[in-house]
Amino acid sequence: MNGVAVGVFVFLFLLVTVLGFAAARWRRAKDLATLDEWGLGGRGFGSFVAWFLIGGDIYTAYTFIAVPATLYAGSAVGFFAVPYTIVVYPIIFLFLPRLWSVSHRHGYVTPADFVEGRYESRPLATAVALTGILATMPYIALQLVGMQVVLQVMGIGKESDNWFVKDLPLFIAFAVLAAYTYSSGLRAPALIAFVKDTLIYLVIIVAVIYIPHHVGGWGHIFDTVGKSFTDFNSQNADAIAAGKATPKATMPPDALHHAYWTLALGSALALFMYPHSITGVLSTRSRSVIRRNASLLPAYSFLLGLLALLGFVAIAAGVKVTNPQQAVPQLFENEFPPWFAGVAYAAIVIGALVPAAIMSIAAANLWTRNIYRAFINRTPTHAQEAQQAKVVSLLVKFGALVFVLALSKDFAINLQLLGGVWILQTLPAIVGGLYTRWFHRWALFAGWAAGMAWGTWLAYGVKSPTQAHFGGPLVNLPWSDTTKVYIAILAFALNVIVAVVLTPVLRAASVPDGIDQTRPSDYTADLGDEEVQPELDPEGATH
Amino acid sequence: MSSSTRWTIVLVLLAPAVVLPLLVGIYARNDPELWGFPFFYWFQFLLIPVAAVLTTVAYQLTKGDERPPEHEDDPVETIR
Repeated sequence: MNGVAVGVFVFLFLLVTVLGFAAARWRRAKDLATLDEWGLGGRGFGSFVAWFLIGGDIYTAYTFIAVPATLYAGSAVGFFAVPYTIVVYPIIFLFLPRLWSVSHRHGYVTPADFVEGRYESRPLATAVALTGILATMPYIALQLVGMQVVLQVMGIGKESDNWFVKDLPLFIAFAVLAAYTYSSGLRAPALIAFVKDTLIYLVIIVAVIYIPHHVGGWGHIFDTVGKSFTDFNSQNADAIAAGKATPKATMPPDALHHAYWTLALGSALALFMYPHSITGVLSTRSRSVIRRNASLLPAYSFLLGLLALLGFVAIAAGVKVTNPQQAVPQLFENEFPPWFAGVAYAAIVIGALVPAAIMSIAAANLWTRNIYRAFINRTPTHAQEAQQAKVVSLLVKFGALVFVLALSKDFAINLQLLGGVWILQTLPAIVGGLYTRWFHRWALFAGWAAGMAWGTWLAYGVKSPTQAHFGGPLVNLPWSDTTKVYIAILAFALNVIVAVVLTPVLRAASVPDGIDQTRPSDYTADLGDEEVQPELDPEGATH
Repeated sequence: MSSSTRWTIVLVLLAPAVVLPLLVGIYARNDPELWGFPFFYWFQFLLIPVAAVLTTVAYQLTKGDERPPEHEDDPVETIR
C-alpha cells in the first residue's frame, strides 16, 4: 500500500462524491419527485452530456478490467470487444431514434412500457421487464468485482476471514454511491461521467504511449507475447490435447472465427436491449442527439481497443498475477509513479460507479413502471412512482453487494454471461415492434420463452477446464463438432423462428391481437412536433 | 434528392460499418504489419474511424430529413 497513491485515490473519490450530491441542483427541475426527472434526468440531455453519459454507461469498469484480462490470459477472442463496439453504432443509428420518438409521444420510461403500449400484452411487458432486471443485477455485481480488483491491488482493506471487515472500503464506496443516486437520480452519474471519462482517457492515453515505449515498443511487445504463448503451448501440449488446458494465441484460430463474429454481433444487438442503455438514450433531448452520438461514441471503442492491448503489454512488462483481472491494475502499479497510479485506480473505480448508478436506476424504473404499477398500485401518483424507484435503486445495489461479498464472484460472472443471452431475447419484441406490428404478441412471448430456456440450457452445459457448468459463452453449432458460436445468437435464432412460425398460426386461430396504442407517425416524431415537449409533460397520457 | 433515395444512401453507407468488422476471415492474419502491430489488430483499429466517418456522413444526410419515407411505417390497418 502506497500512501501517495491512496491519497490521490481518496481525493478523487471525495471529489465525485461531492459532485454526486451537488448533481441534484444541476439543470434544476421544478420537482425532482417524478420518474421523468429522477429516472431520466428530465429527458433533456444534449449531445455533449449524452456522449459522456452513454459512454460512461456502456464502457464499464468491468469491461476495462475483463477485456485486457482475456488477452493477458491468452485468448485473442476477447478482442471481439472492438468489432462489437464498431457494429453497435450503425445499429443504434437506425433503430433507437424510433424508440426515442414513440417513448416521448407516449411518456414511456422503459422498453417494457413500449411493449405494453404496442401489443397491449401485460405478460409480454412483464417478461421484458423481468428479463431486464435479471440481466442487470449481475452486471451491477460485476462493477463491484471491478472495484474489488483495484482495491486489492492497492492493498486497501484488511486481511480478514470476515467478508464484512475485508471489504469494508468497497462497502463504504457503495453506500456513498447509493446515497447520491437516491437523492440526485440520473443527474448524478451524468455529472460524474465527466470526471470518469476525463480520467479514463488521460490514464489510457498515457498508458499506451508511455508504457509500451518503456517496455521496448509495440513490435517487441507482440514478439514477446507470441513467443510466450508458443512456449506455453509446447510446454502444455499434453494438457491441451487432453482438453485440460486451452491453447494461447494472439489471433483467433480458424475454428473460432465464427465464435468471434457471433460474439461481436450478439453483444452489439444485446447492448441496447439492456435497460441502462435505453435509459441513457431516452434521457436525450432529441432524435438527432442520438444520431450524432452514434457517430461520436466510436472514440470510446478506440480507447477500449488500446486498453485491451494492455493485457499483452502486461505480459511483455513481466507482470505475473494468478488472477488475470489484476493484470492491468498491477501493470499500473509497477510502471507508473505512485501519484499517477492513484489517478489510474480512481479512474477505474469511478468508472464502476457511473454504470452501477445508471443500471440501478434503470432496474428501479423497470420495477416501478412494469411491476409495481402493473400489479401493486395501478394508479400511483408521480411522487409515489419516484419514491418507489428511489427505494428500489437502493435495494438493487444492496442486493448486488451481498451477491458479490457473501456469495461467489464466479456466480456473478456466470450470471452476467447468462444476462447477455437473456437480454437478447427481448429484441424481437422491442426492435420488431419499432418497425412492424406483424408479429403476434403471443408468438413473441413464445419466442422469448423458447430463447430463454434454450439459451440457459446451452450455457449450463458448457464445461471449461475449471468449471463444470457455465464455463463460457460458446457452444458447438448444432450438427457440428468444431464450429463454435455464441450461445445468445443461437437462442435468438430459435426465438425468431418460433415467433415467425407462430404468428400466422395464431392469426389463423383468431387469437386476439391486442390494441396498438401507437400510430405510425409516433415513430418519427421529433422535438418541436405536436405532443413532444423538450421537458416532457409528466401529466401527459401514457396508456 | 427524394427522401427515399436519401435513406437508401444511408443504408448503403452504414452497411460496410456493420459487415466488414464481422468478416473475421479477411483480417485474421499477421501480415502486413504496421508499426509492429499485426494486421489483425491495426485493421480493426482502422475500421473504427472508417465506421465513425460513414456514420457521420449518414448523420449529416439525415439531419435535414429526420423522417424516413412514410411507407417505411407499417400501417397496422393493412395487417388486420
